[in-house]
Amino acid sequence: MNDEWAVTASGIVKRFGDRRVVDGVDMMVPRGSVYGVLGPNGAGKTTTLRMLLGIIEPDEGSRTLLGYDNPRDASDRVGYLPEERGLYPAMKAREAIAFLGALRGLDWKTGRERAVVLMEAAGLGHAVDEKIRKLSKGMAQLVQLLGSVVHQPDLLVLDEPFSGLDPVNQERLEKLILNERDRGATILFSTHIMSHAERLCDRLAIIAGGKRRFEGTVADARGILPQRVHYTPHRPDPAIRGVLPADAVADGDSWRFELPNEGIESLLVRLIDAGYGISGLSIERPGLHEAFVRIVGQHGDVLVVKAA
Amino acid sequence: MSRFRRTLRQTFTIARRDFIATVFTPIFLLFLFAPLIMGSFGAIGGLGAASVTDGAQDKTRIIAIVPATTARPIDEADTRLRAMFRNDEAPPELSIVAPATDPAAQARAAFETRDVDASAVLYGPLDAPQILYGPRGKRSADYLGLLAQTTLAAEKLGGTLPTIAATKTQITRSTTSVGGQHQSAFFAVFGIFFLTLFLSGQVVGTMAEERNNKVIEVLAAAVPLESVFFGKLIGMFGVAVLFVAFWGTVVTQITSLMPAAAAVALGDLTPAVGAPMFALLFAAYFSMAYLLLGSVFLGVGAQATTMREIQMLSLPITILQVAMFGLSSAAVSHPGSWLATAAELFPLSSPFAMAGRAANSPELWPHVAALAWQALWVTIFITVGARLFRRGVLQSGSARPFWRRKAKVAAA
Repeated sequence: MNDEWAVTASGIVKRFGDRRVVDGVDMMVPRGSVYGVLGPNGAGKTTTLRMLLGIIEPDEGSRTLLGYDNPRDASDRVGYLPEERGLYPAMKAREAIAFLGALRGLDWKTGRERAVVLMEAAGLGHAVDEKIRKLSKGMAQLVQLLGSVVHQPDLLVLDEPFSGLDPVNQERLEKLILNERDRGATILFSTHIMSHAERLCDRLAIIAGGKRRFEGTVADARGILPQRVHYTPHRPDPAIRGVLPADAVADGDSWRFELPNEGIESLLVRLIDAGYGISGLSIERPGLHEAFVRIVGQHGDVLVVKAA
Repeated sequence: MSRFRRTLRQTFTIARRDFIATVFTPIFLLFLFAPLIMGSFGAIGGLGAASVTDGAQDKTRIIAIVPATTARPIDEADTRLRAMFRNDEAPPELSIVAPATDPAAQARAAFETRDVDASAVLYGPLDAPQILYGPRGKRSADYLGLLAQTTLAAEKLGGTLPTIAATKTQITRSTTSVGGQHQSAFFAVFGIFFLTLFLSGQVVGTMAEERNNKVIEVLAAAVPLESVFFGKLIGMFGVAVLFVAFWGTVVTQITSLMPAAAAVALGDLTPAVGAPMFALLFAAYFSMAYLLLGSVFLGVGAQATTMREIQMLSLPITILQVAMFGLSSAAVSHPGSWLATAAELFPLSSPFAMAGRAANSPELWPHVAALAWQALWVTIFITVGARLFRRGVLQSGSARPFWRRKAKVAAA
């Protein structure tokens, strides 16, 4: 039993036909963390999560879930929200949540009681006894999400949890994820929306073309790209280009360029000496979005996979 | 919690959901009362057919063209003989007609009359009567011959047959009769076939709900697919048991109100293992037949992607069930034959054939072995069904079969 890692994967491979949809992915998810699996559409995120959960078996490689080699042995301690949401339409919301809990070993009575508490906390108290078919898509999605946490799992796996939710419910979901983390659970979720990952993730992996292209913290990912300088001189003058770095790009009266390797100080001295002065200056760290685009864009095979 | 206990708990969670989702719906009432609807239509059709038949029979006659002196003795003989028949087996009503100048022509003309339908006509001397009969009138002709013989015998004995005082005592066999055993065997085979025909086919479409609602992904993540399959089977079996219990109670109550003749007919069921054990084995084999056929149907139905495909499966399902019924019926008709052994061993016919065997043979140990054998096949069918589902629908299987993978490794 490994107490350090909630999930580990070592060289897991999945083939569909002759295509390697997941091609040797390694992953180490620390316990108690929020871990994001990022990637473009068709990158293999869902297939990776399904293998980690034991829904499908990898063709090669190994994985552990909460310390168990067989993910099934940990199933009562895992919550899962699949990408394709699904509930029984004729079930009442409270029963649906209790049923999902019962599948994971929670007794029905406790499941029903917790369902009411969870639904009220999520602003769905009025829909406790509504049938699923009468709920909106977003509400049904929230009900399913509550069903995945009703048994208070040690590991919560969410596949594209934000898709289909309006901004209000997205914020509720972010709050729920953080609450679960504060409770001590590990959260593993996939997304291709960088803003959520940037706000929530302690660590993340970027998958593209079935391979893991990056693993680390958000700061590590952003650190891949150099910082960018946003500089505005006192007076606009095309001749200033001769002083600025070669990659400088005009942005109105301002200029944007990567932070030089030797730092900003010597450049500023030259600009002041040349009489351009400093009307505005900011040094910006690139966002996760830019890092993601850079990492994924480096691998042309991503587009090939998506086209297939 | 041990893996077995967890699997059991998960199985019954699925079963509970399916049972409740099926039973607590208005459609279930329609399903529950379907036999009543079917019986009502059958009764209406039967009454219609019976009234047509009765109408035809009311106008059918057997005719005796005899002199007036013979009219009374032949009428008395008819009364005596007719008492031996049950109502539905009695010959058509007898009409006695005086002979005309040409009885032969008169007899032929009787078949042409519009007032009644002559089934058979007798004329000429009773010791050498001429009997004409129409289509389906052979039995009537035989009766008229017997009637002439009886009348003649009575005449020779001075007008009446001697009366005797017979002492009648009913004897009950201390051992089961061969006829009773065969009747019990057929009852068992047909009973299980009838119940499974109605009930087990329902299982075929149960996985469609999970697929259409996309719940299957949640279930597959939380529960082994074998538990999902078995849970669904158990859930639907619970529905079947509820159905059988309901109608079993109704039929028992109706039977207690039936005339004694019907009770006598049931009394002919004399299974070799004894009635209580026979009832127990009948229940056990019904359960196994349901689970065996249900597991096959569930596995096949889980592969179907649309309701149309599921509906199209109903024909091969019915054919399979009828085939198992035919095989088992043949087997119980020839106990101890190679056919019987084959039917008892073949998993899908085994419950039917073994239920028949319980009626024909008093040995109990084969039933223990058979139930274990059938349970093994339920497990095999569920496992194979779940694996096919995992491979085909969840796309879990590798595209390359394991023997090719091994070959590749060896080549490397």
